[in-house]
Amino acid sequence: MILLASAFGQLALAHYLLLSGVLFVIGLVGFLSRRNLIVMFLCTELMFQAAAIAFVAVGRYYYDFSGQVFVIFILTVAAAEAALALALVVLLFRRKPTLNAEDWRDLSE
Amino acid sequence: MILSSIIQRIVLATVESGGLAQPETEPVISSDVVVATHHWWAGFILYLPLISLILCGLCAAMKVKSKLPAWITTVCLLGSFVLSLLLYFDYGGSPELIPLLSWINLADPGGNFSGLSANFTFYIDSLSLLWIMFVTGLGTLITFYASEYMESDLGKGYTRFFAGVSVFLFAMVALVLADNLLMLYLGWEGVGFASYWLIGYYYQRPAAVAAAKKAFIMNRIGDLGLALAIYLIWTTFGTIQYDELMDVIQSGSWKESYDGWTIDAIPWFLMLAAFGKSAQIPLYVWLPDAMEGPTPVSALIHAATMVTAGIYLVARTYEFFLLSPESLHVVAWVGGVTALLAATIGLAQHDIKRIMAYSTVSQLGYMFLGLGVLSTYGAAYHVFTHAFFKAVLFLTCGAIMHGFAGQLDLRKLSGLIRIPGWRITSIAMLIGCLALAGFPLTSGYFSKDAILAEAFITQGPGFEALGWMAIFTAFLTAYYTFRVWFRVCAGKVEYEPGDEHHGDDDHGHHSEAFHPHAPRFAMNFVMAVIAIGALAASVPYFMDTKADEALAGGWVADMVHDSTAQGGLPGLDRHGQSMGDIVEHGHAGHQGEGDHAHPTLFGMDVHTAMYVISGVVGGLGLLLAAWLHLFRRQDADRLKAFLQRHWWIAWLPRAMEHKWYVDEIYQGLIRAPLWIASHLMYAFDRFLIDGLLVDGIARIPRMVARWFQPLHNGIVQSYAVTMAGGVALIALLMILFLQFWKIGGGG
Amino acid sequence: MDGILPYIECFAALVALYLILGRGGRMTKVLGILGGFAALAWMYVMAGTEIIGGEGVGREVLFLIFGAIAISAAVRMITHSRPVYSAINFVFVVLSSAGLFLLLEAEFMAFALVIVYAGAVLITYMFVLMLAQQASSPDKITEVPEYDRVAREPAAAVTVGFIFLSTIFGAVYQGIPSMPPPAGEIERNMVRAEVLQGLPKQLKSEVEKIDPSFQWPPDIDGNKNMVHADATGIFVLGTTEAGKHQPVRLPESAGPRNTQFVGWDLVARFPASLELAGVILLLAMFGAVILARRQIEHGEDELREAVGLTRIHDWDDDPAVTEEGSSA
Repeated sequence: MILLASAFGQLALAHYLLLSGVLFVIGLVGFLSRRNLIVMFLCTELMFQAAAIAFVAVGRYYYDFSGQVFVIFILTVAAAEAALALALVVLLFRRKPTLNAEDWRDLSE
Repeated sequence: MILSSIIQRIVLATVESGGLAQPETEPVISSDVVVATHHWWAGFILYLPLISLILCGLCAAMKVKSKLPAWITTVCLLGSFVLSLLLYFDYGGSPELIPLLSWINLADPGGNFSGLSANFTFYIDSLSLLWIMFVTGLGTLITFYASEYMESDLGKGYTRFFAGVSVFLFAMVALVLADNLLMLYLGWEGVGFASYWLIGYYYQRPAAVAAAKKAFIMNRIGDLGLALAIYLIWTTFGTIQYDELMDVIQSGSWKESYDGWTIDAIPWFLMLAAFGKSAQIPLYVWLPDAMEGPTPVSALIHAATMVTAGIYLVARTYEFFLLSPESLHVVAWVGGVTALLAATIGLAQHDIKRIMAYSTVSQLGYMFLGLGVLSTYGAAYHVFTHAFFKAVLFLTCGAIMHGFAGQLDLRKLSGLIRIPGWRITSIAMLIGCLALAGFPLTSGYFSKDAILAEAFITQGPGFEALGWMAIFTAFLTAYYTFRVWFRVCAGKVEYEPGDEHHGDDDHGHHSEAFHPHAPRFAMNFVMAVIAIGALAASVPYFMDTKADEALAGGWVADMVHDSTAQGGLPGLDRHGQSMGDIVEHGHAGHQGEGDHAHPTLFGMDVHTAMYVISGVVGGLGLLLAAWLHLFRRQDADRLKAFLQRHWWIAWLPRAMEHKWYVDEIYQGLIRAPLWIASHLMYAFDRFLIDGLLVDGIARIPRMVARWFQPLHNGIVQSYAVTMAGGVALIALLMILFLQFWKIGGGG
Repeated sequence: MDGILPYIECFAALVALYLILGRGGRMTKVLGILGGFAALAWMYVMAGTEIIGGEGVGREVLFLIFGAIAISAAVRMITHSRPVYSAINFVFVVLSSAGLFLLLEAEFMAFALVIVYAGAVLITYMFVLMLAQQASSPDKITEVPEYDRVAREPAAAVTVGFIFLSTIFGAVYQGIPSMPPPAGEIERNMVRAEVLQGLPKQLKSEVEKIDPSFQWPPDIDGNKNMVHADATGIFVLGTTEAGKHQPVRLPESAGPRNTQFVGWDLVARFPASLELAGVILLLAMFGAVILARRQIEHGEDELREAVGLTRIHDWDDDPAVTEEGSSA
């Protein structure tokens, strides 16, 4: 709190935003390249995480707490998504014991 | 159901017009036109052919195998003829209206437009009386003739034939007696349809079908002109009823709201209509082909009556032509050129019926010439005489065709007058030929003179040359007419039968076994009567019923006198007169000729000179024909060989025999371009519109879908790739765009 | 040339990621890790030099540490072949993010993140993973399934990632210099004053802690403001020993604290969104319960009978059953 209290300028913001971008892209690449349904959902959580960092950083830059409030909503959505997604995974897994996303192609039909 | 309702309407209309109940809307009548409700029975001139049609339809439905339809039609038409005669004798001398049925009555109470009235009302004046008498009279006779002529078709097309004749007569009566242009148009279309019906009577013959189509399509071109003319007349003059039109034109009230161009357009459209129906250049080519129909049809429709409808139309709407003088010059020239052209073609044909057809075209050209040189009287008189002598010529041709199994080639027939049973035919044909050739003191002589003389009297562009051309045509006419008669009727007896098969013929078709069957009572009777009529048709020329000394031309001139065609009567001197003067003159009662300097020809009065000239010319033609085709037929062959041997002249007989290649020219100039254009448009539509635009555009989504199909494989990540890549690309584009925009804005 | 350098960085970073993801041997992966770190270091330095133009680079050690942990844990998460380890790596990401949040003065969010994510969500994931792992192949429990071992089309994924990262970098590099300046002291203090004014009880106790002689209530100006802000801090005006209209400066520690800020914003500015979030969570709970509920195929009636309840199936269909039930 004390450390960066008065020196949060554009440079610091840029660092946070770039970090958030890297995390987001790692999440995206993971989502695209992993085949395990649960890991894919974890990757979406990672992307949420990256977005949350960006929100908080920009909110800090403008000294506007809406950024943090928005992170609360992100947490809400992430939690809801996790609940529903995992329930769906359980449902699917019960039908066919695999977590491979490619095994569920027939869902598109 | 339909028949009964029609009959009911007819009866009701008759009762109404008989004075028991007046029509609800009384047409506006001009002062000198009387409403003659006491002539209600005149309606039956129109209804009787309709009744005949209905009865023929019943006969067809009951499969009648006897000659009953012929008798029905003959009796009905005879009734029409008798009523026409009664009407003539009861005619008071001034135009009268006989209301039959209310049809169209539109009025605008606000007065913004003039309203439209078109009712089934007869307009009776001397012109329509003249026409209706020879239409119904010849119709009756020719139907009687056909009852025998068509007997080979008994049980097959017999009823259909007479139903067609009934339709024709019905439409023709409507055309002639109409009191407005719309009813005339109805009849005009009706006769065209009946013509199509009857030309295509032998519908199993491809030539007949093609001829019927040709006639119909050619007539449609003319009909378009009539329809447009009617529209323009209505918009310009505010009415389409003859009596009101006369009033409007003569009072000049139409000039108040005149917008400047319709006056000149109306005669041209009317001309188009008349040229289509009456077979003039450029629409004449259907008439020779129309000879594919049964001969009585050719005689009745395509020689005597229907083709004169164009003359009637021009005579009826003569006022419009007088308003636009150049149009009359065109009429005259078209008529004169058609007369000459058709005569030259007629010279070189071998089919006698076809010669008669070209002769008809030629004579119709004379009539238009007469109209064009302000001789409506001459035109009307020529229509009248032509109806008789051309009918008799066609009927004799039909008799020959009937007797010789369809043989019409004049090279294969000879000496008919010496074959027992053919004497009446031959003499009737001789009378017809004399009249057609304009032999002195025959009917054709006087009627043709009336036109020719007027061509020299009336001033117009090249009218004198036109007159000499017409005289030359008269010479050609005399020649080719007697070529037919000398070849077919005179000389030694020789004949070959045609190839037409009559189902009830008991003889074979080889010449040694062939015996021509001579016409029996009905045909002989009709031919004799009409031949006598053709002779007697010269009598009216000397009848002065109305005792107007200045008015040359006798009864027929008298008939034209009170009609819409009175602008073109003989005895009017027109030098330097405006058309308005002519109209006024017509009403002033035809002043004498002595007031003005009279035109002369070779020091003689034009009429007198013309009697001499055309008599000489006719005689010359006759003599030439006699030399080449009666006494020394080998000279004709030698002449032909001579003509063909020399290249500088050889084209002439060939071109004449091939009808001046007009059909081929039409083929090349109109049909081929149309064919090519339509095929181009078909290809355009097929490949460009259908193929590229319609199907091509429909194919684009499918192609695009095929590119992206691999992405749609059910794997979540594929969708994610698409989505993320798309989002990233859009964002990238936005950034780049912003960058450039910033650079541009900053710079 | 300078313009495309960031994109070359992105490309290098993702090539490194590809090497780690890819099917190569251990050496390749080590190379990838080293290359990745090199690229990240380059990015960091570049960010300092390129954006601000070589001005003094703040070496925030904690940021570096947390950032490095977050990124390496994230990479490990998406590369690890065992989903459980992925989940554990994700916990590291969450924890380092929480550290970053602390650096950003977002203490409430930091702890909320740890509690909600690391504590609740990730545990749920773990449960589901265990469930799946247990059922998938009971005989070969240690065998990692093929779909976890081999990445699916890493090249395509990395390409999309490159485009995305380039976009983000492009936006940051171009956007940051043109951003409005950060909030200065006055703006900070105005926000503090506004929020503190909404907390009168705390305000009173804080003011009295500093100056016990302060006579409550303080002065209220024309805009009905009690707490005022200037460049050096916030203060209230009121009657003290020294006289009337004396300012009492409130130190940073007087608040409002971060939790109060967030709570104020949440309740005062986004109440409807707050309600909506609650509804979403409730519905998600219903949905999860309904989706994951196991269909009872048989035996429910028997179980009911076993505990002495009436049957719920075949109530009307079978008269015998009905009689039995009624007699029972």
